[in-house]
Amino acid sequence: MHAALTLGCSGTLGLYNHPKSGFSVMRINRIREDDVTYWKTSAWGIFVASTLVAAPACADEPLFGYIYTTDTLPKDQSEVEQWVTLREGRSQGDFHLLQTRTEVSHGVTDNFQLSGYVNLAYANVKGNTPSGDTVPPEVFADFASDPARRFSKARLESVSVEGIYRISSPYTNGVGVALYLEPSIGPRTREMEARLILQKNFLDDKLVFAANATLGYEWRKLLGDSSADPTSEEFVTHWDKETDVNFGFAGSYRFTSNWSVGGELQNEREWAGLNPFKASSRTNQAWYLGPTMHYGGRHFFATFTTLFQMPWAKDYANPAAESFVVNGITNADDFEKYRFRLKVGYYF
Amino acid sequence: MAHFSYRILPLATLALAAPAQATVYLTVEQAQNQMFPRQALTPQFRTLTAEQVAAIRKASGENPLSHNLRAWRAADGGWFIVDEVVGKHEFITYAVSLDGSGAVRDVEILDYREAYGGQVRDPRWRQQFVGKRSGQSLKLGGDIKNVSGATLSCKHITDGVRRVLATYAIVLAHA
Repeated sequence: MHAALTLGCSGTLGLYNHPKSGFSVMRINRIREDDVTYWKTSAWGIFVASTLVAAPACADEPLFGYIYTTDTLPKDQSEVEQWVTLREGRSQGDFHLLQTRTEVSHGVTDNFQLSGYVNLAYANVKGNTPSGDTVPPEVFADFASDPARRFSKARLESVSVEGIYRISSPYTNGVGVALYLEPSIGPRTREMEARLILQKNFLDDKLVFAANATLGYEWRKLLGDSSADPTSEEFVTHWDKETDVNFGFAGSYRFTSNWSVGGELQNEREWAGLNPFKASSRTNQAWYLGPTMHYGGRHFFATFTTLFQMPWAKDYANPAAESFVVNGITNADDFEKYRFRLKVGYYF
Repeated sequence: MAHFSYRILPLATLALAAPAQATVYLTVEQAQNQMFPRQALTPQFRTLTAEQVAAIRKASGENPLSHNLRAWRAADGGWFIVDEVVGKHEFITYAVSLDGSGAVRDVEILDYREAYGGQVRDPRWRQQFVGKRSGQSLKLGGDIKNVSGATLSCKHITDGVRRVLATYAIVLAHA
């Protein structure tokens, strides 16, 4: 779905599974050069600045890399957070996608937290599709690329605002429940993500389980593809619409002071258009599973998660002969084999 | 997987995570002098038996974190007990003083290592425990008011005091 979701929570809509080729690479080759130059310059500037600052921390201290818990910052408390996500590997070719998020959060009340952040991305891919063509990952889908050559580019992905409201606390109400809303805006991108967060603690709150259900809408402005059917929407510049629905489950145990280990499971589903109840619009489904480790100190925390794509992927949009799924792993434009995410944060 | 060096960076960052610094508000000796001024305190340390642990768990609903009971007997018949509960990241060390009849006289926070939740040190919050006895209801949100922003610490200290009172009744009351 949106850039923020892609960066923050994984899975966005497989932007566009062309009925024949499955990829959208050749249809957006008329982007204005001045537009590209502007965003390229901005993206590099912010990327370098955020890397040099290496500012730690975000919303509330995350036990997990991808799954949210219901904890929020106390009223009037703030934190900064830096995420770095490396998305690596396809069934073929080279695929490297580096995404960063720099976030500042504040507790408006004890149960309502607001955050703002900047998302940047860098991609370096070649021959990363089952056909052997080079196709940029989803967050770069609005850039032109040569299917026979390497694609390498950095950009400002989006800026986002995030609000989390905790309805009940796992410490006093048995089960924690929170609602999350995140609008994002980027160059030729608009996104809206809503999430239901559940949390249940055991063993003096040292054992934590969390579940997320996420609905994300994404609008991406794609320029016309002169090779497309002149009567089709793809022929002219248009807003491509997508929907993501993700389900996540995670558990973590604090095995000694400050340190927790656990695991995360994420199921990501995508639809073309904005109706996730329309079965004929389904495009992709993938599963990710992997371990997570968390360190939490008095003011500093760090979380590192590795996710592996499980061989249970589905490609609903293409016939078997043109499927993105190879050996059970999907190679659609918002998926990869491995995800590595580091979050570091600092409480003021 | 060609750029393996990328993956070393986050691991290295985690490895550099500095241990948290404890804030010691009161040492055990300072807490003893504050809670039992000018009184001699005699160590009455115990190692809890499996049966005692089970009885404490049944009476309080809480499992003792340690089988080593750190208790001192005061000259006036009161008790000074040092205990720990789980905090957000590390243990919170606190002390409970009981009068000769087993009623809570005071609760003091000795070590607190968290960025948030330090409101549990507020005397007005700790005052709520005074007079509580084993067997009485002692729950956060009802008998003990919660402090927003310090919920986890409030909950665990409340649970801890309930466990200490059960421990007194089962192990120390007839000593």
